[in-house]
Amino acid sequence: MSKKVFEVKDLRYRYRKGNVEAVRGISFDVYEGEIFGLLGPSGAGKSTTQKIMTKLFKEYAGEIVYLGKDLKQYDNQYFETLGVGFELPVHFSKLTGLENMKFFSQLYKERADIETLLDMVGLLDDKDRMVAQYSKGMKMRLNFVRALLNKPKLLFLDEVTNGLDPKNARIIKDAIRRFKEEGGTVFLTTHLMNDVEELCDRVAFIRQGEIVEISTPRDLKIKYGEREVRVEYYNNNQTKEAKFPLDGLGENKEFLALLEEETIETIHSGETTLDQIFIEVTGEKVDA
Amino acid sequence: MHNFLNLFKGEMQRMIKYKILQISFVVTLLWLVIMFLIGADYVGDFVPLFIFMDASMMTVLLVGANLFFEKQENTLKTMLITPSSYYAILASKFIASVYLALQSAILISLFAYILFDVSVNFPLLVLFVVVITFAHTAIGFTFTVFVREFTGLLAFMIFYMFLFAFPSIFYFLGIFGDAFEYILMFSPTHGSLLMIDYAYGVEVSWYLLLIANTYLVMLGIGLIHFVVSPKYVETAVRE
Ligand SMILES: Nc1ncnc2c1ncn2[C@@H]1O[C@H](COP(=O)(O)OP(=O)(O)OP(=O)(O)O)[C@@H](O)[C@H]1O
Ligand SMILES: [Mg+2]
Repeated sequence: MSKKVFEVKDLRYRYRKGNVEAVRGISFDVYEGEIFGLLGPSGAGKSTTQKIMTKLFKEYAGEIVYLGKDLKQYDNQYFETLGVGFELPVHFSKLTGLENMKFFSQLYKERADIETLLDMVGLLDDKDRMVAQYSKGMKMRLNFVRALLNKPKLLFLDEVTNGLDPKNARIIKDAIRRFKEEGGTVFLTTHLMNDVEELCDRVAFIRQGEIVEISTPRDLKIKYGEREVRVEYYNNNQTKEAKFPLDGLGENKEFLALLEEETIETIHSGETTLDQIFIEVTGEKVDA
Repeated sequence: MHNFLNLFKGEMQRMIKYKILQISFVVTLLWLVIMFLIGADYVGDFVPLFIFMDASMMTVLLVGANLFFEKQENTLKTMLITPSSYYAILASKFIASVYLALQSAILISLFAYILFDVSVNFPLLVLFVVVITFAHTAIGFTFTVFVREFTGLLAFMIFYMFLFAFPSIFYFLGIFGDAFEYILMFSPTHGSLLMIDYAYGVEVSWYLLLIANTYLVMLGIGLIHFVVSPKYVETAVRE
């Protein structure tokens, strides 16, 4: 087993003006070299958790151990190896994209090549335009570049694909995967099952400030996915649907008869309904 | 130290990009126009008032607006996840603000000297403007950590002007009597006005001058230590 980067124990946080705890005693570990996802609906406490772990909020209860030492004992050097992607744009709007990145870059000891990063997310041609003129997706891509400026070893990404079209989301996800392949550790928050399935090694479901499940995307699918096949077929000018259990499918007479006799339109296996799992695990109606 | 210089350079770059330097320069030119309108006979009486307004009210306004917009753009927050210490960040903002006020004060006093022959103890003026801007930058910071909306900032400013700036100006214009002065010493603006008056050769008792300087320095430090510092991070992180 690889070593623990973070050990989070019974973490609690209450906003000064909030009437309930935003984070209510969550515990989890993040291992070196993994992509750990914190998944949950809006308002669950994902951003709050990230802000605590990036030392923006200091008055929390519970304990966070980073590389064997209490997070509270680290000074600003902590940020030299950390890349943080915020959920909202964080740039000077009257400066160009490149000017923004140059300004932030020089605050670190390690400096990645800015133009290479801008090129990677498709912003190189726009580097001399004012950020005020960027679209939301462009600003979010610039946020991602901002997170990588100091060649971090650990990446925090808050809803990193938020507001991106599929092509740009793909570019960012590929970059995250490459970051991991080069030995980096990623902590990401999202409400998109898709992100989790494509990227995360492990995922924690958070709901109303509490972690309800920690697992791998694969195990989740096996545990919650309905193990069945749904067949849509055409019969008497109508589309009809039938369901069959996955187990023993090859000997299922009804199923085989259907394949032989009817015009099949679609066949889906139940494990792919990850969105359903999300609603089931995090939704209010859960009684599992 | 290295980071402080980079932070300061960034502040200056943004001062130009956000046109704050240009606005401040235009205001200086406006004072110049007003000097011409007043005419050579009386201009000497008013120059201290102009410099006072620039170093106090303009500073509060510019610092407040600047911080407010940074808060909106979430850049205060992203600064907090860099290795720069919070004190280096604050210091860079303070020095940029003092620089801006100094530039105006120097220009106004030079214009007055060259065009209207209004003489001034220049080193003393520079020193006092530094002290005044320091305190008023802290006041500007204090306003912004308390407000969420721009209208709130405006309300704070207007309140401040009525409470502190106008009484001093009335006093300066001779509308209030002398006894009023001791009450006015509680107002940071009044001490500022006295100091600049003094640099322009107006007689001011040494103890009032001492009180004014001490008060402004202590006020600046007190506000930073007890109000701005504890609330800065919260202000920066709040969306
Ligand atoms: N500044 C604040 N003051 C008071 N309460 C807050 C503040 N910020 C967040 N909260 C509350 O804390 C809870 C968790 O918020 P958080 O931003 O962590 O959610 P999230 O999981 O990131 O949601 P989203 O997916 O919408 O970004 C919410 O109930 C929210 O209302
Ligand atoms: Mg969030």
